[in-house]
Amino acid sequence: MADEILKIKDLVIQYVSDGEVTEAVNGIDLELKEGQTLGLVGETGAGKTTTALSVLNLVPKPQGRVVSGEVFLDGENVLEKSEREMEAIRGNKVSMIFQDPMSSLNPVMTVGEQIAEVVRIHDNVDEKTAMARAREMLETVGIPGERAGEYPHQFSGGMKQRVLIAIALACSPKLLLADEPTTALDVTIQAQVLELMRGLKKKFNMAMVMITHDFGIVAEVCDEVSVMYAGRIVEHGNLQDIFDNKRHPYTEGLFNSLPDINNRKSSLKPIKGLMPDPTNLPSGCPFHPRCDYVCEKCSKEMPPKTWINDTHYVRCWLYENTTESRLTEGE
Amino acid sequence: MADVLLEVKNLKKYFKTPRGLLHAVDDVSFTLERGKTLGVVGESGCGKSTTGRTILRLEEPTSGEIWFEGENITHADKHKMRKLRQDMQLIFQDPFSSLDPRQTISEAIEEPLKLSGTIKNHDERFMRVLELMKTVGLAERLVNTYPHELDGGRRQRIGIARALAMNPKFIVCDEPVSALDVSIQAQILNLMKEVQKEMNLTYMFITHDLSVVNHFSDDIAVMYLGRLIEKAPSEKLFEKPMHPYTQALLSAIPIPSLHNRKERIIIKGEITSPIDPKPVCRFANRCPYTEKICTEKEPPLVELEPGHFVACHMCQGNCSKPAPTMEEAEAHAAAEAHAGAAEA
Amino acid sequence: MEETKKIITRKEILKQFKKKTQFQEILTRFLRNRLAIVGIVMFAIILLIAIFAPLLADYQTEALGMNPSERLQGPSMAHWFGTDEMGRDVFARVVHGARTSLSIGFIATLFSLLIGGALGAIAGYVGGWLDEVIMRVMDVMLCLPEMLLAIAIVAAFGTSTTNMVIAIGISRVPRFARIVRSSVLTVRGMEYVEAARAIGANSFTIVTRHVLMNCLAPIIVQISLIFASAILAISSLSFLGLGIQPPAPEWGNMLATGRQYMRGNSHLVLAPGLAIFFSIFSLNLLGDGLRDALDPRLKQ
Repeated sequence: MADEILKIKDLVIQYVSDGEVTEAVNGIDLELKEGQTLGLVGETGAGKTTTALSVLNLVPKPQGRVVSGEVFLDGENVLEKSEREMEAIRGNKVSMIFQDPMSSLNPVMTVGEQIAEVVRIHDNVDEKTAMARAREMLETVGIPGERAGEYPHQFSGGMKQRVLIAIALACSPKLLLADEPTTALDVTIQAQVLELMRGLKKKFNMAMVMITHDFGIVAEVCDEVSVMYAGRIVEHGNLQDIFDNKRHPYTEGLFNSLPDINNRKSSLKPIKGLMPDPTNLPSGCPFHPRCDYVCEKCSKEMPPKTWINDTHYVRCWLYENTTESRLTEGE
Repeated sequence: MADVLLEVKNLKKYFKTPRGLLHAVDDVSFTLERGKTLGVVGESGCGKSTTGRTILRLEEPTSGEIWFEGENITHADKHKMRKLRQDMQLIFQDPFSSLDPRQTISEAIEEPLKLSGTIKNHDERFMRVLELMKTVGLAERLVNTYPHELDGGRRQRIGIARALAMNPKFIVCDEPVSALDVSIQAQILNLMKEVQKEMNLTYMFITHDLSVVNHFSDDIAVMYLGRLIEKAPSEKLFEKPMHPYTQALLSAIPIPSLHNRKERIIIKGEITSPIDPKPVCRFANRCPYTEKICTEKEPPLVELEPGHFVACHMCQGNCSKPAPTMEEAEAHAAAEAHAGAAEA
Repeated sequence: MEETKKIITRKEILKQFKKKTQFQEILTRFLRNRLAIVGIVMFAIILLIAIFAPLLADYQTEALGMNPSERLQGPSMAHWFGTDEMGRDVFARVVHGARTSLSIGFIATLFSLLIGGALGAIAGYVGGWLDEVIMRVMDVMLCLPEMLLAIAIVAAFGTSTTNMVIAIGISRVPRFARIVRSSVLTVRGMEYVEAARAIGANSFTIVTRHVLMNCLAPIIVQISLIFASAILAISSLSFLGLGIQPPAPEWGNMLATGRQYMRGNSHLVLAPGLAIFFSIFSLNLLGDGLRDALDPRLKQ
């Protein structure tokens, strides 16, 4: 139990605005062990970011509300914590880095001050010590310590993302939530930042949830993958399970949509149709209107988890028989 | 003799800024055959978008020449440009900001037809709008919707329909899919390929996504800080990249597979500013192989193999060591990484 | 038969897929805002009173005709707002005052919108030295208090209705110029403007169809606010004796004369005072409501 840093149980989150209910997250289960990295993959509107925000108990209020479910961070249910208690946890036990490094930093504070601020909030140290820590953190992320006195606009995009990583790691969190941290960066800079994050993860021995839409990044930094679609995890497994043994038609569709860099003649096979409207999700399996293997049952009932092996499960009626055989084996 | 549609000769575009002259596009030359696609890749600020916009004369070139269908259009007057606008089109990156929020879909697609005055009849023109919507896969029932009611993929389809409205010959596609989700991205890329075949279109495909460009283009041009540093047929460029920057760029693509994983070539530092650059190799300060000559002279773009142009002193044999191949470069990077690890 | 069936017209198709227009959407949002409704109802009443003033009270006999025997009466059934020091019906004077204030205010607002809007649009779209020159002149004008500027113009050219319109109009030009320029600048930077250029649209089409259409929201809001300030300015000028001259009824000059009898006959200042208050208050509520309804950010 103790080595499970994050455990999400049957989480359901909705947004209500103008009388319309947006079903952002519809029953998610997740477990993450210490030091592991989980890739949360999916397209816009799949509920990736909302899931991450719920770990910080930061689902925007009043529109957003957690309908049901539990989120255990290091054994404690964060959804039951008061705002005061959460403040002590955020940035200390768990931190988050956002997609856009340009707007995540305060333009009128030096980067050093911004890092030191986090340290002072959580570690009860004096200003000098905090500033020294800030400089140390900048060095850790590959920025000369003497740049601590500079303002965000004096840094380039890649450097700003490094500063944000420094802020996130300043209090050595046990869990880091990274929301598309390299999407806004150029490829060569992305390579630098990913390299840095991999190194730091080892150094700090922290767990990480990497939110991304890029399977390339997943292959690079993650241990496990959850593929999300319309607020549900449709397939989950370790890297081998997902990359070499994918089962869900959506996962397959995502991979087929990617151009193969080694074979430029291969044609793209896009998934037909569009992402469903989250205020009006299809019945049953939300993917069924776009699925090539759709059968009658798909539009009626959401498929349960079917375990392919100990680490790999899929939610799709195609594999229903696999469960039955497993069940009979169990008996 | 190949059917050359577009030829760009020593194109330069400088912008005046308070801090000096910004060399957005610096001495870029290339030719593009009819029906082909030229991919232009590079990181933000390398001048790839400005190149596209200058060719379309949305920006006035500082110097150089643009030849379109055998005609020099560098200084074509307003009247001439109005005609040319029909042949040369632009597809924008951001389908969210490139559509007027107060125009419905049909109004947006009709606008170019209206402006050119090719179809005078009200109803006929509208039929053409419906036809275009069908071509790009937009349902007829959407005629009265506004852009903000649609998703990115559909909006990009409107952008494509607008570009196709005048039966153009040449389209500059400025990152047309980078704002879209992967599954939608594939739909749009396939659509663009289909219409290219159907209408014999020539594309200039500007992107930062190398895996997309490889899939989509016949030739690829790599730009760095306003300069064209390497240009080759796509297969050749991916098989045998010569310029150290191209090698690093290719190596940096995260590959969505667990097999044949290679050591990354990670280049240090970041792109410098293209304001008043010194006449030296612009990649010299990040290049792992920089020698004296690189910081003294600017390398010209030279055709080292048929169709393969490179601007690099080392590749041209002016340095003490021969240029490494991709494999050698990866081995070099691996060795450095190991050395770094050992030190730590 | 076949032939006739095939011909489909634009109208038919557009009708077939008809849905809420943007105007209807804005209206829905506007009607959801209770304060805005209060504003528009209040303003509509004032406007109707102004339009139908001759039906409510005769100008010659009731608003101007003196009747010393009935001077300084309090409100009664015969005289709803009482009578003034010359025995004129205050209600009739307030009602006819509304005509003056609203019409002059409207013309002055329109005047400054045309000049300020054109200057702002040119400055914003053309840019360069022209922008510099126009905006620096506007800055200089903004340094002078609007009221002082208006007083100076009226004092220099004499008191007449035309001069007052010009005075109030010109003093508000910088406000329009600034708001139009800044919204033009924002819109001009949008990609769809470049997109229009790429399909061969000329500057005039771009400015009128794309740029100004997308700047309408802030301009409409500004119109309602400046209209309110123009009404206040008319009253102030008249109060100082530089605007509408007595005996013509105007809220400002009614306040000025009523001031002397304020102690015993508070209705003489209350009636025109409240008229000014309600017309400006309603316009401000209306402006705020429009701002919320037109703001595209609230769409999402």
